[in-house]
Formats: sequence, C-alpha cells, structure tokens
Amino acid sequence: MNCEIAHERIVAAAYGELPDEQTHELERHMAGCPDCELERDQLLALKVLASANPVIDPPANLVARSRLRLEEALDALPPKRWYERLSQRMMNSFASLQAAPVAACLLLVAGGGAGSLGGYHFAQSRAARGAIANQVVSAQLQTQSPPAEIANISSIVRQPNSQIVEVRYNQVVPQRVQGSLDDPSIRQLLMLASENSASPDVRDDSVGLLASECRARHSCRAAGIRDALMVALRYDKNAGVRAKAMEGLEPYVAEDMRVRDAVLEALLNDSDPGIRTAAISLLEPVEADTSVRQVLYTVANSDRNPHIRTVSRQVLSRVPEIQ
Amino acid sequence: MQARAPEMELIREAQAGSRAAFDALVRQYEHQVLRLALHLTGSEHDAEDIYQEAFLKAFRYIGNFRFECSFYTWIYRIVTNLCLDQLRRRKTRREDRAVVLDRSGDEIDLLASVSDERSFSNPAKELDRKLLGQKIQAALDKLTPRERMVFELKHYQGLRLRTIGEMLNTTEETAKNTLFRATKKLRTQLAGLR
Repeated sequence: MNCEIAHERIVAAAYGELPDEQTHELERHMAGCPDCELERDQLLALKVLASANPVIDPPANLVARSRLRLEEALDALPPKRWYERLSQRMMNSFASLQAAPVAACLLLVAGGGAGSLGGYHFAQSRAARGAIANQVVSAQLQTQSPPAEIANISSIVRQPNSQIVEVRYNQVVPQRVQGSLDDPSIRQLLMLASENSASPDVRDDSVGLLASECRARHSCRAAGIRDALMVALRYDKNAGVRAKAMEGLEPYVAEDMRVRDAVLEALLNDSDPGIRTAAISLLEPVEADTSVRQVLYTVANSDRNPHIRTVSRQVLSRVPEIQ
Repeated sequence: MQARAPEMELIREAQAGSRAAFDALVRQYEHQVLRLALHLTGSEHDAEDIYQEAFLKAFRYIGNFRFECSFYTWIYRIVTNLCLDQLRRRKTRREDRAVVLDRSGDEIDLLASVSDERSFSNPAKELDRKLLGQKIQAALDKLTPRERMVFELKHYQGLRLRTIGEMLNTTEETAKNTLFRATKKLRTQLAGLR
C-alpha cells in the first residue's frame, strides 16, 4: 500500500467506513510509516475541532413557526380534481408491478377503459343533466349479470322537483385465476397481494409463497419478488408476515447489499424480538461488513431485550469467524 | 426509527390524499429536517424556507414514492438537494457567514448549547471556544457545496456513505472521494489552530 492510498483509507477508517481486512492492512502500513501516522492524528484532531461547531436541536418556536407556515400553505393548495385522484391511484397501482407484460397490459386496458367510461359519463351528465328516466336506470340494473360487488358510489344527483334520484356507481367484478408459481402473471398477483392491507391472511399466504420461491432460488430477483419481500419486511404490520419475508431473503444477505440493509434495519427497528433475533442469525455468516458490526455494537448496548443484547455480544465475540 | 409498519400505512394514506396522514409524516421527520437545514445554513430563516419547500415538494410528489428506499432516504434526498441549492446561491452571492442567525438576525451562540461546566468559571475559555466555532464555520464555508454537504451528512449527521450516495444521486465511491477532499481542505484551513 502506498501513502496516497493510505491517506484515503485513513479518512474512511476514521468514519467507520473501512472494511476490516483493509483496516488491518492500513494499520500495518502505519506501523512503519510515521507520515501516515501523523496524517491519522491530524484527521482525528480535525474531527475533534469540528465538534466545536455542534449540531443543535431546532428551537421549539422555530419548529412551531415552520409547521404553522406549512399548514397554511397546504390549506391554500386547491383540492385535486377527480381525474387527478384517479390518475394517481392508477399510477400507484401500476407502479407496484414489475416487468409483467400480461398483467401490466390488462391493468392498462382496465385503467384506460375506466378513464374513458368516466369521461363519457362526465360529458353525458353535462349535456343532459336531469333528463335520465328511472325506467332506464332500472333496466340497466336488471340486465347486469353476473351480480358484481359495488366498489364505490361516484355521485348522487336528485332531479329537481322530483322523487327521482340518479346514482352513479363503480363495480368490482370478482375474478379467479389458477396457475403455476412459475407463471409471471401469478407471481405479479402474489406480489400485489403481499401489499394488500385489508387482509393479513392474504398477505401471509402470498409472502409465504414468494419466500419459498426465493429460498428455492426461482428467479427471485428478475421478477421483483425480492423487492416485494423487502417491502414486506420493512413495512408489514403483521410479525408473522415479516418473519416469512425475512426467511425468503436469507439466501441473499451475503450477495445483495440492499437485502443486508433491510435485515439490518429489522435488527435495529423491528418491534418483534423474534424477528430481531432471527436477523442476528441471518447476519452472522455474512462477509466482513463494517455496517454489520456497527449495528451489532449498537444492539449489544441498547436493545431493550436482554436476550438480544446477549446474542449480539456473542456474535461480536466471534467476529474473527465472520469471514 | 420506530413503527415501520404504521409508517407504510401513513404513506399509503397520504398518497391516497389524506392530509392527516401527511401531517403525521411531517411530524416524524420535521426535527431532523430542521436540524440539518439549520446546521448547514446557519440561519433560522433559511432553515424555515428549506423546511417549507421540502415538505411542499414531498406533498406534491408523494404519489411517486415507490417504497424502493426508505421514506427517510426519500425525504432527505429532497432536503439535501434544497440545501445544495441554498449553498450554491450563497457561493454565488459570496456571503461570508461565520455565525448562526435566528429569525430576527441575532446571533445564536451554538456553544451555549454545549454543556461545559468549566466555561462558566472561565469566560476567556468561553470566548476561545466561541472564536474556534466561528473559525470552524468559516472553514466549512470554503468547501464546495457538495463537499460541505457530504461532510455534513457524514460527520455531523452520522449517515453511511452508501446512504449519502443515494441521497445525492451518486455512488458510494464518489461520496467517499468527496469526503476525502473535504477533510483535506478543512485540515489545510484549520492548520493554524492545532
């Protein structure tokens, strides 16, 4: 190692960003290089000096003032139009899909159809307000088959000087599809289901199936399944779902930094001690990563669960075994 | 740092248009945003402006958040870009600021918030520390906006270089090189103080 490289690594080491094997190499270099030792001492002195410019907590009146000003600005914003809200919902749903031509095209067609239908009804109501007969409405209802679940009511208009009311509504037509776990469209539906906030059982089933695919290394990355599991690990409110997501990510902790980050976050932040304990065992065989050690140090000192603090210390004591 | 699952719900509700959910997200992150903006700009007025712009942008674009990173990283990305713009504007205007100002323009004594029993009995030492703080601030002001930002996020905010790279839309390696240049410059500026 030459001194130029050493100087760069001294900075990285001072901020805890140098991998362990490079730290050892650097220390060996500095043991025989007084200039680099001086460089390190000067950098450490800089760090101490810089602390003479401390970060302060914002004063309470600044926080209050800022919040008030923001609220006034948000209150002054015009409300979104219905087509902006619909467009945003469609974008949110569409964006949660990965590369899935079949399902994506179906959604595009459905979204385009819904948009066209909405636009058609909007134009119709403007041109012929108050002219729709209740017989036509009854006929429409009677001819609808099969009976579909009503998703929402979009408008209610009472005819002037009349008992007639026009109700516009949107329907959800239940569908059923069956296929292999290798089928991309089935996988896309499972990934959508993993974010289904309404039913924890549905999320549990879908995440369990996706996790088993990942453990079996079945195209876990290409289809975006890994991303869906990381989202479930970070955000699902059910601990069982998060545990299954973490099991599915286990094969990728060593090779994928994003997966490792997600597991580290779970170790630091998850409310369930079982998940935090499982995260420790997932991180144990990972290759040398300063971040892992830093998090383990933090957990060993500050986790509220004594068993987890003990397990973290045990892992740290075996640090030379972490390759 | 707690309750990730409820945060996801809040984000989704905010994306669906819930103002209450967005307000809850603001309350979760407003202190960190102000802390960063205040330390970088040294001005309560500027920090307030950055807060305002950051959260209005977040409100406008929250629909684009895809859960590909944490919401913390996403909001910080907005804030750091606004802070960078502010730092660049200052460079252009060649402002020379070595103190932190409150809204009325009065200087805030940063070191008064750092507890040190010895300084109460030694006003001279207190003055020395104050002057030192000003010199540090002046040296920081001589960094480029990007160097200043990376140093701020690494040294003062304690973020990892990988996270800093994500926030500044660059690589970890670039962030590391920027940090190296920043520390080199600072050491040159502050050489006389050692």
